[in-house]
Amino acid sequence: MTQKPLLQIRDLNIAFDTPRGQIRPVRDVSLDIFPGQIVALVGESGCGKSVTSLSILRLIPTPPGKVLSGKISLESRDLLALTEKEMRKVRGKDIAMIFQEPMTSLNPVYTIGDQIVEAIMLHQHVDTKRAYEIAEESLREVGIADAHRRLHEYPHQMSGGMRQRVMIAMALSCKPRLLIADEPTTALDVTIQAQILELLRKLQRETGMAILLITHDLGVVAENADVVAVMYASRVVEVATVEEIFDHPKHPYTQGLLRSVPKLGAPEGRLESISGAVPNPARFPTGCKFHPRCPLTRQAAVKVPADQTVEIKTVEEKFRVLKICTTMEPELREIEQRHWGACHLVENYERSKVSLPVLDHRREVTANVVDTEHEGSLVLDELEQGRKEQNS
Amino acid sequence: MSSASINSSAGSLADAPAHVEKRRGWLASVVHHALSRWGTRLSLAWIGLVAFCAVFAPFLANSFPLLVKIDGHWSSPAMTHLTAVDVTLVIAVFSSIVILNFKGLSRLAQAGIFLVILLATLTIAHFVIKPPLVRGYEEYRELKQEGRVQAMLPAPIPYSPSDHLKDQFDFTHPQPWAPSGSHLFGTEQNGEDVLSVMIYACRIAMSIGFISTGIAVFIGIIVGGFMGYFVGWVDLLGMRLVEVFGAIPTIYLLLAFCAAFERDIYMVMAIIGLTGWTSDARFVRAEFLRLRGQDFVHAAIAAGLPLRSVLFRHLLPNALAPILVSASFGVAAAILSESVLSFLGLGLPVDAASWGRLLNQSVGQGGGFHLWLAMYPGLAIFLTVFSYNVIGESLRDALDPRLNPQ
Repeated sequence: MTQKPLLQIRDLNIAFDTPRGQIRPVRDVSLDIFPGQIVALVGESGCGKSVTSLSILRLIPTPPGKVLSGKISLESRDLLALTEKEMRKVRGKDIAMIFQEPMTSLNPVYTIGDQIVEAIMLHQHVDTKRAYEIAEESLREVGIADAHRRLHEYPHQMSGGMRQRVMIAMALSCKPRLLIADEPTTALDVTIQAQILELLRKLQRETGMAILLITHDLGVVAENADVVAVMYASRVVEVATVEEIFDHPKHPYTQGLLRSVPKLGAPEGRLESISGAVPNPARFPTGCKFHPRCPLTRQAAVKVPADQTVEIKTVEEKFRVLKICTTMEPELREIEQRHWGACHLVENYERSKVSLPVLDHRREVTANVVDTEHEGSLVLDELEQGRKEQNS
Repeated sequence: MSSASINSSAGSLADAPAHVEKRRGWLASVVHHALSRWGTRLSLAWIGLVAFCAVFAPFLANSFPLLVKIDGHWSSPAMTHLTAVDVTLVIAVFSSIVILNFKGLSRLAQAGIFLVILLATLTIAHFVIKPPLVRGYEEYRELKQEGRVQAMLPAPIPYSPSDHLKDQFDFTHPQPWAPSGSHLFGTEQNGEDVLSVMIYACRIAMSIGFISTGIAVFIGIIVGGFMGYFVGWVDLLGMRLVEVFGAIPTIYLLLAFCAAFERDIYMVMAIIGLTGWTSDARFVRAEFLRLRGQDFVHAAIAAGLPLRSVLFRHLLPNALAPILVSASFGVAAAILSESVLSFLGLGLPVDAASWGRLLNQSVGQGGGFHLWLAMYPGLAIFLTVFSYNVIGESLRDALDPRLNPQ
């Protein structure tokens, strides 16, 4: 595996100037995406994952936002150093993006066709007629029936799932090498979610593009990603292959996340959750940003002398944590082979070295994902059947 | 390229009548909703009538007969006395009808062709059409009295607006004359037929409304668009500019300019336009501020579209609604301003056909009030301003999503 990474993010730091002072939603983020890979960026709302993705396309509004330091390179081109004009050629052509809200991501005053065609004509330099053909083709590729008629329809005539398909068609019409999908299924209902993800995976296999999947849905991650990067409060805290993350999560935050996913067959009762809330980016805690919520440091604090611990008081409770967690920010270290973590209390952390999380890994394609179109419709048929039975 | 795609969708709209109801675009549905009121239709009918009079004025009111047979020869004195402006207006209307019926062209191409034709006609007409400088308005009336006219097709109102009826001068019965069979709306103090002047005055009413509002909307969109999209210091400076211009009282500025310079309709248009853009700029700014954070704008930028396209193709059409409303009110206000100026005897050259100037004459030089000189032009001003306001109102209602659930 000596492939060169398609996209490289190195020590990215982003700041926003607000009336209450500077906030830094992204700190020292490094990430590699290899051709044909699906990398998932996971984290709670406000952890900086969307800002990271927007910064790749330089879509962060400046001011108030600005990139303090770091490098984002697409193959050998430094995206942050490009002029706005050069950047426009990258957007849509090399890197495309689909957004969270399909209901608002399409311009209400133009037909679907007009919107797809505009980007095609811009990037592929073809005439109107050919552009419409390409647009129709790409609509068909994303599974829209009656594509020719749909081209001339307006967004309000379509359902959410259909619009997200249109967004995907629009993003893929110029055959980008990297697709950034910012929570592509959050606004959709569960059956449509499954269809859209199947579609993305199918298109990814056919075109060989890479996908940066931004989500907080761990089910989506488990089903689709090759490599997972977990973000918490502006930093990447764990990077590993999807199998590793789900089988052996190292960072207490990742462990907490996985515990809070409902499991089939688990005994009934309250669902576990990580105590506390995501810290406000304007007032991050010192040291490890997870320490006020971290169960590991609390357990460890019980066992060590009091001078190595610090007491924390909140409105609800009073507890002690390790001093080191409140004073030293842990760095991302390769705690195991091909597994990076940033936590003082993880095994091997002291002995491991700081290194960049470069992981050229693909999950094994299992047989059951091949016949995607049928599977989706089968599920729908069954649902329809169920509904009818319920009604009668 | 962008407009090409707009048109092709419009083309397919027309091709598939079965889907018209479903496929109507947002703007089209707003227009449809506004038109569903009879008040709007009546207003549009009145504006249409004014526009018709403006374009075909020389065929409606003319001292020269449309067709005449003198000494066995047919001729059309009305045609030979047409001015370059008359010809250009008529050609512009017909060419726009023809162009609009060309389905294969994009809207932008249509507008371009129309502009080219308009400019070409204007230039050619300016050089080619040389109507006689001296106009003997009474010529054909005298010829008819002499019995040399074998056949004549006069215009519906056989008086030109600047025909002072010199041949009918009557010392015992001085002008203005009250309405009568030969002068339906009476005459004014110089002997001009009021109806004829009113028909020609439609030109000034239409052009002053549209040109000054056009200037205002154009400036407003540019300034407001940049303010709303770039925010920050651009917005700060722009808003101060808006406040400065908003503080200028238009009517006093107009009075000052009219007093200081030669009377000129274009100056009046320019001043109304240059001071009236502030409300449009505010509307556009507010709309752009609302829209710039929306996903489809991000999506457009993420697709690599240039700023020009993001601003004017993706943001502007979504921000157009309030501008349409404010523009229709602006047209009404501009017509009113011109009437006020003319009524005060300041706005236009004294011989220009304008409703306001007729109003001005309703109080005679020797005292006395001439009802017909106040009523008919006043009614025309009232109806036109009222119509534009009704259209603006109904557009505003049609745009209000709470009243018009989709």
